[in-house]
Amino acid sequence: MTFGPEIGIGKIEANPSTPFLRYAPDGRLFAVWTEDHDAPWPEGKQSAEHQHSRGDRAPSPMRNAFLAWSNDGKTWSARKRVNSDVEAVQGKENGPKVAFDTNNRAYVVWSIPGGKGDKTRANIRFAREDGKDSFTLARTLNEVKDAGRFPIIEATLEGNFLVAWIDRRIDNPRPRQLYLMKIGADGKALTKNYQAGEGLCECCKLGFAFADAGKTVYLVDREVDSNKIRNHVLRKSTDGAASFGAPVEISNDGWQVPSCPHSGPSIGRDSRGWLHVVWFTLGRSEKEAGTYYSVSKDNGKSFAPRQLVHANTVPEILYANLAVGNDDTVYLAWSNLDNRSRAQIFMRTIASDGQTWSSIQQISNARANAGRPVLALKNNQLHVAWTETDGEDSRVILRSAATRR
Amino acid sequence: MKLRIMGPTLIGCREAWHLLAAFCCAALLSTLPSIAWPQHDHPTRQSAAPVVGSLAVPFDLNSLDGKSVGLAKYRGKPLVVNFFASWCDPCREEMPLINELASEGAKEGYSVLGIAVEDSRAAITEYAREFKLVFPIALDLNSTVKRSYRIFGPPATFFIDGQGIVRDVVLGPITPERAREAMKKIGIAR
Repeated sequence: MTFGPEIGIGKIEANPSTPFLRYAPDGRLFAVWTEDHDAPWPEGKQSAEHQHSRGDRAPSPMRNAFLAWSNDGKTWSARKRVNSDVEAVQGKENGPKVAFDTNNRAYVVWSIPGGKGDKTRANIRFAREDGKDSFTLARTLNEVKDAGRFPIIEATLEGNFLVAWIDRRIDNPRPRQLYLMKIGADGKALTKNYQAGEGLCECCKLGFAFADAGKTVYLVDREVDSNKIRNHVLRKSTDGAASFGAPVEISNDGWQVPSCPHSGPSIGRDSRGWLHVVWFTLGRSEKEAGTYYSVSKDNGKSFAPRQLVHANTVPEILYANLAVGNDDTVYLAWSNLDNRSRAQIFMRTIASDGQTWSSIQQISNARANAGRPVLALKNNQLHVAWTETDGEDSRVILRSAATRR
Repeated sequence: MKLRIMGPTLIGCREAWHLLAAFCCAALLSTLPSIAWPQHDHPTRQSAAPVVGSLAVPFDLNSLDGKSVGLAKYRGKPLVVNFFASWCDPCREEMPLINELASEGAKEGYSVLGIAVEDSRAAITEYAREFKLVFPIALDLNSTVKRSYRIFGPPATFFIDGQGIVRDVVLGPITPERAREAMKKIGIAR
């Protein structure tokens, strides 16, 4: 694929990071991401011994979420702040996510650290566009304080929204639980928080795919068993996420790891109903480490043997995502190290036959590191965005390509 | 909104040193840099690994308060190096123990150094305040040290003796029993 030039999104001085892309029903491409809050260190927290190394301001954990849209990925609207109050919007492990109602209004979820600044006991925040070019007051979705992390949101064709996250309100037995709730188009809760699964890895993002106008819901996550083996599973609901069947193992990778894998799976569904999943695993030895892909052709009952997308070059957690085209081609993007030991973004495709792979293409040229790619695809226009970091600086980069010549 | 079209930029001096150190010390990959954006097939996998009994890989990073922190500074006495991140659940589990080790270090004749990976100065500043950390923290902002120590995910703790030799490595959260065993290997009885 031939990609266009790099486009920077956000205010570069404010260190934009962790973008998420999604098309609204009207065909506009939206991005949501985080930036440093420009205000000084919060009053009462200034610390003389911890001044920013460049001396321009004290290091503040406060970050904001911003939303902007584009018709072509090149020119972007003015950005709008999503969070009504300044708060430490989390980006590193899982940035904000957006979904849209039929009127193209944005519904955004993100997380903020818990009461003591604990990112592992965080809170799920939500706001929606209020129809007056702004956002509603943000509110917390988790009913038990300091318990949620890694939220995702998806719109159903009924006009409602499903939000899922990793929850630790039940701290024993570990590991974590999967919690969900439904929100109406008016932003009001349609359900209380409810548990839909358990045994989740504490630090690995979730992935959604919908079918039948939201009646069938597929959710992928990384599980962790009592031996700390972390394989990925698919959970399927046929009643609009009211209940989920037993988890189906996507691949028995056997990665036993007591530390933070920090990288979860991504799922997409094609026009035939095939489910495509991409993930990172180290497997049973470092020789297996890499980004892997599998497909289910029976609505999630089973998965084909995994296929290696790209092997690791050094021990490094890789971040992978995918998008599925109208012609059922699957577009995969992930991070890996280049031959100068810098993390870069790579891409390849697998054709609709499920067998024909393109060659691997490097699409970033980060000075230090690039990571956490996200994709959006519509009408043969593919957009890939990621975060580049270099020392204390970060920026969001987007590149676009036509998927057909 | 400011729009920027960004092109490739030169590697900064400090980053270049980090890259060079990573190349030399950990035998990372090929030595032939490519300026073009290559079409990659599977690259060569790194084979070298810091193992118990080998010299610890040298590094030079900036600390939380902007000072230079290098492995060489600790040569001559045992050192515990803990890789962690503010977003990491198991790191939080073990952090009180790491801090306890550090608080005993001065009288026992060893040091503890934290290396924050995939994190920001602001987040680590908050974290250090929350846990009342008593040991110095280096920021591995570009992941060069993490890669040369071959760490897939934090936490990971390296026990290095006074000659700079790695005597034990604990991947994942460390327990008091495991810490005691590892400390013994660097000559510290707890």
